[in-house]
Amino acid sequence: MASLRVAVIVKMEPDFSEGNVSYNSDGTLNRAETKNILGPHSAIACRAAFYTKVIYGAEIYVATMGPPIADSALQQAQLISNADNLYLFSDRIFAGADTLATAEVLKTGINMIQEQGKKVDIVFSGHRASDGETGQTGPQTAWKLGYTFLGNVISYYVDIENRKIRAKRLISLQGFYDIIEEVEALLPVFITVDPLYKANYDTITQRLAFMKHRKEASKKAQDYKQYLNVLNAQQLGVDPKLVGLPGSPTIVYKVEKIPKAKPTRRATMVDGSDRGQIVELATKINQVLSGAVVE
Amino acid sequence: MANAFTDKGNSPQTIKAEINSGDVSRDKYLHTYVIVEHEDGKPLPVSLEMLGEARRLVDNFNDKYSSKEKVVALVLGSGVRNLCEELPFYGADAVIYAESQELKNSINLIDTKVIADIAKDKGPIREISPDDSNDFIRPRYMFFAADNIGRQLSSTVMAELESGLASDINKLIIEDLEIKHEHKTKGKPIVYEKTLEMYRPDFSGFLWTTILCLDNKNPAIQRDYHPQACSIIPGVFSPLSRDTSRKGIIINYVPKISEEDVAKVKVLDRTAITSSIDFDKHKCVVSFGRGIKDSPEDNTRLVLKLAEVLDAEVGVTLPISKRPFNVGESIGSKYFVPDRVIGTSGRKVNPLLYIAIGISGAVQHLAGMKESEFVISINTDEYSQIRDESDIFVKGSLEEILPVLIEEIREQRAKMIMRVKE
Repeated sequence: MASLRVAVIVKMEPDFSEGNVSYNSDGTLNRAETKNILGPHSAIACRAAFYTKVIYGAEIYVATMGPPIADSALQQAQLISNADNLYLFSDRIFAGADTLATAEVLKTGINMIQEQGKKVDIVFSGHRASDGETGQTGPQTAWKLGYTFLGNVISYYVDIENRKIRAKRLISLQGFYDIIEEVEALLPVFITVDPLYKANYDTITQRLAFMKHRKEASKKAQDYKQYLNVLNAQQLGVDPKLVGLPGSPTIVYKVEKIPKAKPTRRATMVDGSDRGQIVELATKINQVLSGAVVE
Repeated sequence: MANAFTDKGNSPQTIKAEINSGDVSRDKYLHTYVIVEHEDGKPLPVSLEMLGEARRLVDNFNDKYSSKEKVVALVLGSGVRNLCEELPFYGADAVIYAESQELKNSINLIDTKVIADIAKDKGPIREISPDDSNDFIRPRYMFFAADNIGRQLSSTVMAELESGLASDINKLIIEDLEIKHEHKTKGKPIVYEKTLEMYRPDFSGFLWTTILCLDNKNPAIQRDYHPQACSIIPGVFSPLSRDTSRKGIIINYVPKISEEDVAKVKVLDRTAITSSIDFDKHKCVVSFGRGIKDSPEDNTRLVLKLAEVLDAEVGVTLPISKRPFNVGESIGSKYFVPDRVIGTSGRKVNPLLYIAIGISGAVQHLAGMKESEFVISINTDEYSQIRDESDIFVKGSLEEILPVLIEEIREQRAKMIMRVKE
């Protein structure tokens, strides 16, 4: 009897936390040695969806496109969101997709969920991935679905009766000021959740519901395979020409090391283990900051 | 790859591509469209930077291909005519503007449709380059700003135009490239003329990925992908200096905005907020990077102590903003945040003194601090790139150096004050 249906799109990403991430000697990511987890921005999207579970008793579906092992990301997502169903869109022909071809799979997947009689009112996703970082897949999926797109949402509430959502979003104009914008939109909407998003559970009732769903979530996640649906290209009914490499307008032409910038300064070397030199360094710092002439 | 023509290959596709390009007037894809963002009646700095770079690229392009392609600025808004008059002074050959109360605030749904409509419209081309107006289908290249608005807008516009997009670009080259690709060319070498090489620095700051948006010339999946589009990192390219002798035509475009779309989203309120972190107010900026990793919490506290003694604002590198370490919430939420990132994906600073602690010096970071007057870096690795941007390089571990340094700075200052009192 859920009156609100919510989908969350997540992504499995390299784990950038210290101890898990491994870098090559040239400073680049060592993908083979680095573990994969539910991306941190995806986790935030799951938290935003969980809010609809606690407050509105929403039905939640989590979906991802990825290799078979991406089901572990879905499990982590279920633990956070108390999702009712998990969907893994997995097929070798999806590999190498750029954002447009990825959005095609995600759109088709969400529409398939809808065709099962589950009209999705809100789709959440992270605002960008930590590895690709394009931030394009969310809005492109929204556009293909025909959902109104609201980017970088930091808080929201849903007016279920009137099928409306009110949301605050952060518009960051790099190198300029930031703007907090409050919007009202008709459902359905597609929301990318800003890292600043915070859910507030203010009343006792809400906190009790929060605890109840947290418990339920950990129970479900232990047994996540029971909720998992794995679908390949054929089962989804995607057009092979529109997905994977053939459906990608862009290609990666080359990857190179960014050349070192020309040295613009010649550093005086200081030996950090020599106390005398550190004393001189302190003097230098005080001189520079007091406006003394810098040689 | 620049010499692609020397190796023409024998495939019929190669020959065909060359024949087509010989006849410039028959190009379906023309001009570079730059999406201009504005606040309070003024273009954002990044928009002028994009116009400058478009001008340089298109001038080279026209020389190289003996063509007459244009830089076209697109402006959406309400009361924007005056702003449009300015844009030719910064490099636009033409400005297409759409005026409407509904365009006053940037609403993704409405802006996307208006921009896509303009991109597909032959109408403005009749004024911009009349000879081409019959053949025109889409712009050749399209530039957006890589801020929140532009990044999202570029995504939805390109989803609507069904073409390719690269985000967060900091270098652009136009080149004829011979491509051999399993899907795009069915493994045969084909020359793609006038291809925009879009360089994108990756998250580590050490790798550059070049993205191309290419038509599928493989008969099985044949398809055109134009425009070739990207979002451009603010602060990377230089704007042209304002030159009132530059001329451009200004075209009023009447947008079609449906009532249904207007009803879908309403902006209720819009408040500008300035960050509480203000690097410009401080003579000194103390930044830290992954070098704190051996003892993240304690080392961050040491850095903060130094900053306090020097009355410095605290900056971080991009990886730090992703909170890769386990540190207390009070430190994490205040310092391991995107708002403090110095570099191309954050702020540019130019303090009197910049102290880089445990920062290796990815190009992205250097771009944000190299205008500083005096730079001191502290690092265990004497070959790290930050050294090339430092006036003083202190080799050693911050755990050993900072306590001594902090104590010394304090003592010397105390003595100075004593002297003044005497």
